[in-house]
Amino acid sequence: MVRFGRKEVYLPNAVIALMKSEHLPATHAKFRVPLTFSKLDLRDYLYHAYGLRTDKIRSYVQQQRVQHDRPDATMPQQNKWFRPKAIKHMTVEMDKPFLWPEDPDNWEPWSKEIFNELQQNANDRDKPATRVKAAKMEGDTLATQARELLEGKKRWRRTPVDEEAVEVDSDVKI
Amino acid sequence: MATAPLSRFPKRNCAISTPDSVLFFLAPALPASRSTPRSSISRFSTSSSQWARDNNKNRGVSAVRATGLRKRQTLHVTVDDLPIPIPKEKFTTKIPVDEDHALWGFFNKEKRLLATPEEDAAHGRAWTVQELRQKSWEDLHSLWWVCVKDRNRLATEQIIRDTRKLGYGAYESDTRDQTIRATQRAIRHTLTERWYTWEEARKAARSDPEIDLNAAVGEAYVPMDYDLEIESDPPEAEVEAETVEPEIVEEQPESERSENRSRKERRAAREVVA
Repeated sequence: MVRFGRKEVYLPNAVIALMKSEHLPATHAKFRVPLTFSKLDLRDYLYHAYGLRTDKIRSYVQQQRVQHDRPDATMPQQNKWFRPKAIKHMTVEMDKPFLWPEDPDNWEPWSKEIFNELQQNANDRDKPATRVKAAKMEGDTLATQARELLEGKKRWRRTPVDEEAVEVDSDVKI
Repeated sequence: MATAPLSRFPKRNCAISTPDSVLFFLAPALPASRSTPRSSISRFSTSSSQWARDNNKNRGVSAVRATGLRKRQTLHVTVDDLPIPIPKEKFTTKIPVDEDHALWGFFNKEKRLLATPEEDAAHGRAWTVQELRQKSWEDLHSLWWVCVKDRNRLATEQIIRDTRKLGYGAYESDTRDQTIRATQRAIRHTLTERWYTWEEARKAARSDPEIDLNAAVGEAYVPMDYDLEIESDPPEAEVEAETVEPEIVEEQPESERSENRSRKERRAAREVVA
């Protein structure tokens, strides 16, 4: 038998998220809840909002890693420390098992290929190997061009420069 | 009494018996003899290094350190006898999931893993306070719960998108979330307004002679008889009013208006009390 709290909350403001937990049995569900939530809060919330009856809940608070400066800092300073707010997880036991839905067939609506490509570029951009590679490519191109010039395969041409500015409609009398 | 095999007894270390090592600490200035084995001085263990073997067949074999079997070790089973585990992909024990499981509330209506960014972006503006003022408490309450559930769904999907890096859609999700929060704020605003209206009405009812706040339910409002007031007017005044038409025609609407206003106030107070 599950008992419920007697405090009536008409307009709850808490946001809870279901999390995938493949390492747990199908009858367990894991939630990310606000830090202020207690097990009793989650039990009442799940029942009144979703009709889910649970009597066994376990919770843990996950401390976050310390990082340099706040995440919104434009120029993060090394001597400033910031620890993000801890995250509270709760695992509930249910009567009926639940399995998550399958992945969609293609990720076209989410533009995953472009997303991955841009992510990869962003990751590689600051690596020294990338800079070395780019410099080498540039050098190779220069060397090839020089060789072709010396061998007479190509003729030297002046780099096209923009023509001098010519005043348009100069004949129009104002 | 079982006799220990001869090999268990250590051969006596001969390090002590050499005279050099005995004299070493008596005369440290003298250079130590090179012939003395270094191990005889610094050895910690009292066991002799002369042990050939301790007769433990499993020496050095450890499951914890995954050393594997020693040479020529045989077991009761061979590798061929061992059952082959089923790979995870082929492990097809179907767990039946209810169609109306409560946790489906954290997903979209089609029960898909993620709503597409297009679906998330398909929403209008937030409800305004002006629109919500017309709604009953039941309407506002159910709208609030719709908002709460949709925000939970968005939070669930955002975690999936973040952890698995499933592509774009965070912007649409955030925009939707902001819209929902604006609606929730409008609901709170409307209800706060209503509460202040109630409070003002209660204050007005305290000074209203027609309303008794301590009366039983349904009997708080006792309207006064308006006809008595009109009849109590002296008849001469009516005659005068008939004679002087234009002045009273202007006055009548004002008096009606004031009467109407007081009636409206009373009616509002009565509704509130009821």
